[in-house]
This record gives sequence, structure tokens and C-alpha cells, in this order.
Amino acid sequence: MLTISALSFQYPGAPQAALSGVSLQVQRGRVLGLLGPNGAGKTTLISHLAGLLAVQQGSILLDGQPLAQARAERPTRITLAPQEYAFYPMLTVAENLACFAAAGRLTGDKKRERIAACLSFAQLERFAKTRAEQLSGGLKRRLNLAIALLPEPELILLDEPTVGVDPQSRAFLLDAVKALAAQGCTVLYTSHYIEEIEAIADDVAILDNGRVLRAATLPDLLAEGGAQMALRIEGSVEAALALLANFGTVQASHDGEIALCLNASATPAGVLQAIATSGATLHMARYGSHDLERLFMQLTHRTLRDE
Amino acid sequence: MLAALIRKEILALLRDPHGLAALFVMPVLFIVIMSLALKDYYSPSTKSLAYAIVNLDAGPQAQTLASQWRTQHGSPATLPADWRAALLSGHLQYVLEIAPDFSTAISAMSTPPGVKAHLLAEPGLEHAALRSIEAELAASTGELRADALQERFMGLTSAGGNSIRKLVSAERVAASVRPTAVQQNVPAWLVFGMFFVITAIASLFVQEARDGTLARLHTIGVPRNIQILSKALPYLAVNGLQAALMLAVGVWLMPLLGGDRLQLAGIHWPALLLMLASISAAAIGFALALACLVRTHAQAAALGAMCNILMAAIGGIMVPAFVMPPVMQAAAAFSPMNWGLEGLLQVLLRDGGIAAVLPYAARLVGFAALMWLAATLLFQRRMK
Repeated sequence: MLTISALSFQYPGAPQAALSGVSLQVQRGRVLGLLGPNGAGKTTLISHLAGLLAVQQGSILLDGQPLAQARAERPTRITLAPQEYAFYPMLTVAENLACFAAAGRLTGDKKRERIAACLSFAQLERFAKTRAEQLSGGLKRRLNLAIALLPEPELILLDEPTVGVDPQSRAFLLDAVKALAAQGCTVLYTSHYIEEIEAIADDVAILDNGRVLRAATLPDLLAEGGAQMALRIEGSVEAALALLANFGTVQASHDGEIALCLNASATPAGVLQAIATSGATLHMARYGSHDLERLFMQLTHRTLRDE
Repeated sequence: MLAALIRKEILALLRDPHGLAALFVMPVLFIVIMSLALKDYYSPSTKSLAYAIVNLDAGPQAQTLASQWRTQHGSPATLPADWRAALLSGHLQYVLEIAPDFSTAISAMSTPPGVKAHLLAEPGLEHAALRSIEAELAASTGELRADALQERFMGLTSAGGNSIRKLVSAERVAASVRPTAVQQNVPAWLVFGMFFVITAIASLFVQEARDGTLARLHTIGVPRNIQILSKALPYLAVNGLQAALMLAVGVWLMPLLGGDRLQLAGIHWPALLLMLASISAAAIGFALALACLVRTHAQAAALGAMCNILMAAIGGIMVPAFVMPPVMQAAAAFSPMNWGLEGLLQVLLRDGGIAAVLPYAARLVGFAALMWLAATLLFQRRMK
């Protein structure tokens, strides 16, 4: 559906490019989770897709048509629910929906039908006459989403849609994203919460310093790491690390924890035996499958929450 | 699309009592307060001043002068024993001291040396009031002397019938109106109030840029000129309502509060409407340019208020330009508020028509066009 090819962008006066040769494919009806620390280029990428930034280098095609041309024909094929509460606080929920529906060129019965559908989808019917400024954080997020859904977009851009909401509202929003994808709407979802991406994304792209570090389906990403161990050792650490290199890829984290991605032939018992042989003292060992957070750390050398 | 965005602006404005107060109540208060405060500036009353007479002369001319003064200025206060202290403290505003030889001096062949009628005023008495009383005293004394000499040399007793006051007159040339504090202050504070949309528009714009609503509208294909127009048109209506309210205050409220009535009879209405539209276009254009320039609420509030007050101070809103020194009067000509005020005064004070206000309207419209262009360019830059 959406093909981004070698997209590069540099803000005027900026010392380095915000995006460098970004290439991505977004398939119809799927959820693409976009992960990256602050400054990775997520917002710049979303701004391109929302039509807020013009392409400098590279191309973006929507169903084979240049994005600018596709947007000129029907701007509401792609809509944005920004991280901010992008609505009018003095207006009621219904008035906000009516305003943005009219701004999006909806009229008459179609307008009324879409307002009702979006109120229902976001479960905001009870709050239709409540001023937006009086809503809780979770309800504001729902309104933000409902406004983006008014014109029945083919692709919706959700930028950190669960920031500042309670667990119930977060669960509601995640279910809503799954429901949208099930209805055939394509979703591009950015979040600081990796567990959210793991919960809803079909595909994941990890961005840092304006480059795509890895992009694949979520199962493929999780599978490519294989089994791994987390270890904490003291004493003859150097000798232990030399031995551990025979069992897989070793990476020391900033907090002294050693991450070991096991080779296909390696076993946890063999690793523990090697540590004992090296003379090092083992304080902690954890074994499990690869997870997205660890992959993110490996690729960017930091955690999302370290930012 | 445009109608929905205009409706949104109107709803947001109607639900903002503080914003409404700033746009409507504040200029009304300024009109009322300043008109009452400056009520006597255009027709200074020396008759209401507390005064006393120290008449040290029992002669006929001295008695006549004291009698005439009482007639013209009302009953004097009882002379306190320490009347100089009463003057210093402001309990008496002036004292007319008639010298013991006043009558003799008035009837003398040649004018004798020395002061024969002395005005002593309290320290705070306004300069113009003191000069006015002094002029009255000089005129009265001159008439007494003329009468005395006429009687002495020609044997004529005038009994006031030869008053030289009948030989002079002074009036302002105007077909239907006369300058009053209300006639000056209504247009002045109306211009100020109309320009006060600057802060309202700039703050709203900053809020919407920060909230991402401007970006959201852009992403769903709302053209930038529609976004700008949707801000401008409601405030054009706000300016229209402000004008109607301020004129109504001048016509109906001010007389009830003891002020003069704003006189609109016989004015050239098309010229007034042209001026109001031009002022509104300039104010909204300036507001939009500023709104697209600033990035934060603090900048919008500070810069908006500062520009408003500076333009008002320089432009003759707070202090009439005609009391300013020439340098400041020259500076006033650069303030859009001054163009607005002068144009309105052409209509409200000088019976001006379209031709009279056209130079001012043209300047305002030119300024508005420049500001609208700046706003469009700045908005495009911001959205990039």
C-alpha cells in the first residue's frame, strides 16, 4: 500500500539529516509499529506521511501514486492523531467532531453518520455534550483518535497515542487499534512502550539517527535473536567472557549485565559449566527467548526509557 | 469548511468570558473613565473652583470687581483667618486679593505702578485654569478702568453697557458637533479596543499551533488561506460589535453618567463605516502577522500588549496628539492607531466625508495588506 524508498530529509540549518535513506513498506490492513528513541526520525517520517513536510530526496508512493498527488486528490486517505490533544478544548466532543468532519469536507447524512460511528467506536456517546477540556486524559485520547477516524482513512498515523492515560484507557486504545486493522485500516503506530508494539504490531521498524536499523514482521524479529541468557558475574570476568564467546554473541550492558545470544548448538547448562570453569562467581542467570526490548537495546545501544 | 471553522471560532470566543471582557468591557471602561476624567478639558470650568476674596479696598471699583466676580464665579468661601495655609493645603483653590488702592489706581490718569489685583492659587491648580482666571481678571479690571476713564473724561456712565466682551467672540468651526471629552475619547478607545484583538488572535493561534490542530487541519486538506480567513472573519464581526457598543456607550450611557452625549447627527455614515472597516482590517492583519511570528503564549501576551500600548501611546490614544510636542506629533504619524483615530475624528468632529477620510483609510488598508502578506508567508514557513 505505502512504499517509502530512500527517503532523506534535512531541516534547514540542521547539522545532520533527520532521515537518511529510509525505505519501508507498509501493507494494507496491517499495523506497523515504529520504534525509536527521541531524535530517531519518527516524527519527521510521520510528518512526511501526513503531508506536513515535502519530500526532499527519495519517494513515497501510495498505491503506486506519489503521495503528494494522492493527497491532492483526496487528502483524507491518510489521517494523523498527533501526540498532542489536537482538538478545541472549548468545544464539546460533538462540536469538535462536527467541526473536523466539515473541515474534512463531510456533509449532510454522511457527516452525521460518520460522527455517530466515531462516537460509538471511541465509546464517547455519553460525553458528546461534554466540553473537551473537561474530559479525562484517556477520554481525550479517544477523542483524538475519533477525529482522525472521521474521514474513514485508509492509513491512520498514531503518534504515541497512549501517553498519559490510565491502564484501562490504554487497553481500550490498543483494542481499538486491533479492531481498526481487522476492519482493513492500515495503522502506523509509534510508542515508547515496547510491550504495546509487541501486543499490536504485525510489522516493526526500528529507527535511530534517521536510519531504519531493522524492519521485519514481529515474529521474524523475535525469532532471529534465538535463545538468550542474561548473566551477572564477578571475579574472573575476562576469562569467563573469553569462554562464553564459544557459546554465542556476548554483549555487556551498561548496568554490568551480560547478554548472551546462544548459538544453535549451545545449551544453558554448558554456559553455566564454562563460567564455573573460568573461576568467575555467578550471581544471576536468566534464560529465555529473545524479546523486542533486548533487540532494541542491541541495535540502538540504549533503552527507550533512557532517553 | 470555512463556515464550520468560523462557527468554531465564534463558539470558542463566546465561551471565553475573560477574552470577551478584554474585547468589550475594557474599552467601555476606558471610554467612561477617560471621558469623565477629561470632561472639563474641552470646556474648562473655573466657576466650580473654591475661592475667597480678600478685599482691602472699600472704594466703588473694588466693590464692583468683587460683586462681578461673585456673579461670575459663584459665592466665595468664607475667608479663613489663615487663608494662605488654606491655599497651601488646597482647601481653597485660589484667592483674589484686591489691593487697598485698587479703586484709586483704576481711576487714575496714568496707570500706577504695582499690582492692584492679585490672584494667589493653590500649588496644584492646573496651569490652564490659572491662566483662564487671570485673563478674566485682566478683562474685568480693564473694563472697570475703561468705564472710569469714560466717566471722568466724557461724563458717560456705562453701568456695564459698554462691556468690551461684546466686541469679541471665539468658537470652533463645525457644522453640527463640538469637541467634548466623549467626542474625543469614544473614537480613541474604540480604535484601541479594535486593536486589542491582537492579543486574542495571537494567543489563540499559538494555542492551536501547540495543540497540533493547525497541523491536523492541514493534513486533512484545509488550505492555509482558509485557516487564516477563518480566524479573520469572526474578528471582523467582533470589531463591528465593538464599534456598535462603543458608539452606543457614547450616545446613551455617557449622558446618564453625567458626561456629554456623543453626537452622531449629521455625520457621514459611509465615511464612518469605511474607517471602521479599514481599522478592523489593519488590526486583524497585524494580529495575524504577530500570531504567525510568535511561538509561545508568553510571547503572544507580552508582544501583543506591548505593541498595543506603544501604538496607543504614540498614536494619540492615551494622550491627544495635539498636546504633544512636534517631535512626538511627527512620531504619531507612524502609528496605525493614529491613522484610525485621525480618520474617525474627521468624521466625528470635522464633518468629514469619504474624501476626508480616504488618506487615513488608504494607509490602514495598505498596512493591512502588508500584514496579511506577512501572515501568509510566516504561516507557510511555520507549517513547514
